[in-house]
Amino acid sequence: MTSESISVIRIHDVLLVTMPPDPDDTSVTILQEKVLNAMERYRVKGLVLDISAVQTMDSFFARVVAETAQMVVLMGGKTVIAGMQPSVAITATQLGLTLGGALTALNADLALDMISDTFRRGR
Amino acid sequence: MSADAHGEIIIDKEIDIIVVRKTVRDVAAKLNFGITDVTRIVTAASELARNVFLYAGSGVMKWRVLNSSVAVGMELIFIDHGPGIADLEQVMHEGYSSSGGLGLGLPGSRRLMDELEITSQVGKGTTVTIKKWRRRYQ
Ligand SMILES: Nc1ncnc2c1ncn2[C@@H]1O[C@H](COP(=O)(O)OP(=O)(O)OP(=O)(O)O)[C@@H](O)[C@H]1O
Ligand SMILES: [Mg+2]
Repeated sequence: MTSESISVIRIHDVLLVTMPPDPDDTSVTILQEKVLNAMERYRVKGLVLDISAVQTMDSFFARVVAETAQMVVLMGGKTVIAGMQPSVAITATQLGLTLGGALTALNADLALDMISDTFRRGR
Repeated sequence: MSADAHGEIIIDKEIDIIVVRKTVRDVAAKLNFGITDVTRIVTAASELARNVFLYAGSGVMKWRVLNSSVAVGMELIFIDHGPGIADLEQVMHEGYSSSGGLGLGLPGSRRLMDELEITSQVGKGTTVTIKKWRRRYQ
């Protein structure tokens, strides 16, 4: 697993990041940088973090996700965490993780809709 | 998997946290733990392996299969010779962190597992043992 395998792509006015099943700490940290750079460069409305493949979410990963979501908010965008597996959700809750109030969605498609809707309503 | 299967993983690089996760996932799945229990065990192992790497620099994780008449279990022991912990009650308290973390690793792992035991001596090191059981018959 290297950081190259996590890519940040732009779909219209949203960034989409798909996390691999078992992201290591360095990749997660690099991801945060990539997202913030892309937010600035493309002036998008928000970020969808697709974690449907993720099998393990521990306190480090959760902390970086929550931090990234907060930074995206500071830059004027929204973050939606999409597709958390039930076993991961149960474990995260028992561990005591919160995602810093980031929005969540069942899958990436719904997450993309949520970002568009938010902004339509906001205008 | 044989009833007395066991193994050991050295933790001295960040990437070893991933090796620990993969090994633990593999063993837990072979012992027929359900997907949620597998996720719980792997997540606790990830927390404890990171603590070893972060606070002690290096250590090992020993795993073994446990057998009783009514249950099959998995035991993971994380051993390091790092700085040790002065106040065990404090670190088991949610939210305490000396590194700007969430302070969830130890108390959270206790909730995810059936058993968590921690012993530590300042200047000598820390040992954390966790166990998860699965009933043999439904
Ligand atoms: N193996 C260890 N050796 C020395 N100190 C440790 C060890 N494991 C944990 N500690 C101490 O216990 C504290 C609490 O650990 P815990 O894993 O619960 O939280 P954290 O590592 O600070 O944050 P988080 O795990 O939520 O990212 C740590 O901040 C550290 O001071
Ligand atoms: Mg920790």
